[in-house]
This record gives sequence, C-alpha cells and structure tokens, in this order.
Amino acid sequence: MKEILKITASLTGVCVAAALLLGAVFAKTEHARKASEERIKQETVQDLLGFGAGNIPADLKIYKIHRYVVKETDGKVLLGYVVPLKEKGFGLVEVDLSGKAVKTIPIQAEAAQLADKSGTDAVLKQALPKGTEATYAETLYVADRGGKRLGYVVPGVTQGFKNFVRLMVSLNPEFVVTGVAITESEEDPGLGDKIKDDFFKNQFVGKTLDLLKELKVVKEPLPGDYLPALDPAVAKKDRLSPEKISEIRAKHVKDDIYAITGATISSRALTTGVQETVRKFVYRLGILDAALKQENVAAAF
Amino acid sequence: MNRNLQLLWNGFLPENPIFRLALSLCPAVAVTTSVKNGLLLGIAVVFVQVFSSCTVAIFRSFIHPRIRIPAYVLIIATWVSVIDMILPVVSPEAYKQVALFVKLIVVFAIIISRLELFASKEPFVPSFYDGLGMGIGFTFGLVITGAIRELFGAGKLYGFDVLGFEPLLIMILPTGGFFVIGFIMATFNYLEFKITGKIPKSGGAH
Repeated sequence: MKEILKITASLTGVCVAAALLLGAVFAKTEHARKASEERIKQETVQDLLGFGAGNIPADLKIYKIHRYVVKETDGKVLLGYVVPLKEKGFGLVEVDLSGKAVKTIPIQAEAAQLADKSGTDAVLKQALPKGTEATYAETLYVADRGGKRLGYVVPGVTQGFKNFVRLMVSLNPEFVVTGVAITESEEDPGLGDKIKDDFFKNQFVGKTLDLLKELKVVKEPLPGDYLPALDPAVAKKDRLSPEKISEIRAKHVKDDIYAITGATISSRALTTGVQETVRKFVYRLGILDAALKQENVAAAF
Repeated sequence: MNRNLQLLWNGFLPENPIFRLALSLCPAVAVTTSVKNGLLLGIAVVFVQVFSSCTVAIFRSFIHPRIRIPAYVLIIATWVSVIDMILPVVSPEAYKQVALFVKLIVVFAIIISRLELFASKEPFVPSFYDGLGMGIGFTFGLVITGAIRELFGAGKLYGFDVLGFEPLLIMILPTGGFFVIGFIMATFNYLEFKITGKIPKSGGAH
C-alpha cells in the first residue's frame, strides 16, 4: 500500500514538473512564434506573387479576406467574409450555405487589428451579437497593383502520405496557376519531401481551370527538356533564356503531372490539393462577388 | 585514457548506436537518404540525448524504479517539446530545416536505452559524456550511411552533383538503407576481426 502511494507521488511529481516547464516555455515563446509564423506567411505570399524580399513595389496592395464560419444563436450556420471596404473600415459579409447573401455587418477596426487570426477573432467577438459564434477558417489574399488586379493567393490543405500538407496557390485574374508553395508538411525526407522542390511544384504553373479539372498524375519519367524549364538552378546552369523557358513550358502545359519516383502518394496528394484549393476558391469568389453586388458593398479590392 | 574521453570514444565506435548496438534503425533508414538529412537528425539527437541523460542523472534518486520507463519517456518528450518551441523563436531558418526531425525523436530507442543503461546509474558528468558520445556516434553513423546512399542513389554528396546521373534508385528507397547499414556493419566487424584477431561480440549491455 505504501509502495503504490510512493509510485503515484513520484509519477505525479514528474508529470507536474514536466507540465510546469512546458507551460513556462510555451508562455515565453508563443508570442514570438506566432509573429515569426505570420512573417513567414507574408513572405510566402509576396514570393508567390513574384516579389522577393526587399523587392516590393510601392503600388502593390495585398488585401486580406478572412473567411469565418458563423453560428447564430438559433443554430443557423452562415459563412462570413471579413472584407476591407473602399471607404474606411471593414465589413463582415454573411452568406448562407446555398450561396445567397444574408446581411452585412460593418466593423470599425484598424487594419493592424485585423492582421491575423487572434486579432480578428477579438474584433468579431465585439462586433457580433451576443451568443453568435464565429470560427476562423482561412485567409485569402487579393493582390492589386496600380489599381489593376494582379492575382490571388489561396491557402489549402490536403491529406499527404502521413499527415496534412498545407499549401498556398497563387492565381492570376484568369485563374491560371502562377505558383505553388508548401507551407507545412511532414512528408518523408528524400522521397515525398520532394514535393517542395521546384521541378515538381512548378509543373502546376500555367495550368488553367479546364486543365486542372482533368489533371492526373502519371508514373512516367520527366521529359529531359522539361526539367531545365522547371528548375531555375538547372536553367541557370544550362544558360536558358527566359523566352526559351516559357517556350518549353508552353509546349508541356497540357502534360499531366509527372510523379516523383518513389513518392506517388505524395505527388497525388499535392495534385488533388491544388485542384481542390483552386476549385473551391473560384466557387467562393463567385459567391462573394455576387454577395458584394447584392448588398451594395464597395470593397477595397 | 581519462574516463570521460573513453565514454565519448565508446559511443563513437566501440558501441556505435547504429553499427554496434543496432538501435534506432527505423529513423536511420528512413532519414539517411542524403548526408544533409542525416546530419540534421544527428544534431537534433545530440541535443535531446545530452539533455535527457543529464536530467535523468540529476533526478535519478527521485524516480521510483517501477515507473522509470514512463518517467524517461516524459523527460524525453518534454525536452523534445521544449526544443520544438524554442528553436523557431531563436532561429526560424534553422527550424524550417530540422522541424521534421525534432518531432521524430521522442520514440528513439537509443535515447531511452542510454537512460536505462547508463544515466540512471551514473552521476551527472559521466552521463553528460556518455550522452554526447552516443549522440556523436549516431550522427557519424547517419552521415556515413547518408553519404553512401546519396552518392549511389542520387549521384550527389551534400546536395552537390558529383556523378551527374542517378546510378541506383534502390539506394534511396528504404530497402537500400538496410543494405547499406548491413554492409557497413559487416565492414566494421571485418576490420575489428583483422585488427584484434577476435570475432566481435554484439555490443552494449543487452
């Protein structure tokens, strides 16, 4: 009896000590971790739009649209989009599940408050009537340059080989894929991890909506002339001109995705991920545009 | 030779975790598709092994023998989580590279085996050197395996193109990992037989 008490006390002690240590470290690092995550996200978005670090033009404007799932007090579920308005402030445009606009709630807040998830959560809690729950889903990015639409950056998620793969797809105004980035993945190093490599993810560049719908993964080797056009490092070694690269890419634009050797599942996962992300985004943007028109909301983008 | 140095050396060759103790072969096979991956995992293991060994050595009298295994797992998991939380703040770039490997470490056999066989019986300083030696030995094993597999599988070394073509794809696949580790083990045993004239016993205190 005494023995079992001793064991219990010992194990409890170890657990409490571990929990205290973890809690302390978490409290100290959480803020900095979130900030650095947000910064990396911003850099990824800029990168996908074709602007590297320190190379951002002054007339480039990136608008964030936060998508929320809003649960009203009577149990009705709506989708809410937090949209920046042309005049000052923001609006929460709510649409029902069939895609019809329901209402728009004006939100008085600074842009800095709505920069990330936790800030927007707090603002929405104040703006919405009591008892209404708003759950963050994702942030869509709309980029304008000099008053003209430059493109969109859309986050997505797909089931990888063992765990979720989070990705971002950039589209031009005609919904042609202009870039793919992997933001979070736990694929096997050396195999599935190659979905992050340029030679694979650049195969999606140039795919239009129609091509994406029919896109398949083929277990064939990558054509020899295609590789230099996909991988900038190889292009540099082969001294390929940008015109030559776009010529080769145009030749292969109708090709299916060439699977990574030994990692067909990861290749397929990213392909379906890109397809689904783009399909859902185009559908949602259509609904949002219709809702904005119907509600007479002048959005900033 | 002084005992601490001997402990370091012990982990490096005589009781090398991969080639002699044959522990933690799953991660060794899974990750060593390139030198860089092997090196990064190795460095992550060095830290977790040293921290865990030292913690167990300090608190060994408080840990009741009947619950030592859950206590060890907790200690390792705590250190892994702490590193996983601190590293992205200290160096986001480095974290991007090793994030995948750090999370794998909790269940490594080599770490818990060193806690059970060494750190739970020895004081702080020898435990530190034993942990360091084992970590370095593990890194050494991963790098050698990674080098052979990367060279023959992808024709590269540390990401640099050496051969210009890919000789044997099987080397990159898990099968190749077992082949390479088996061959290296055999080579080590052969060399030891040649030098000492004795047939090597299986290492460790198992």
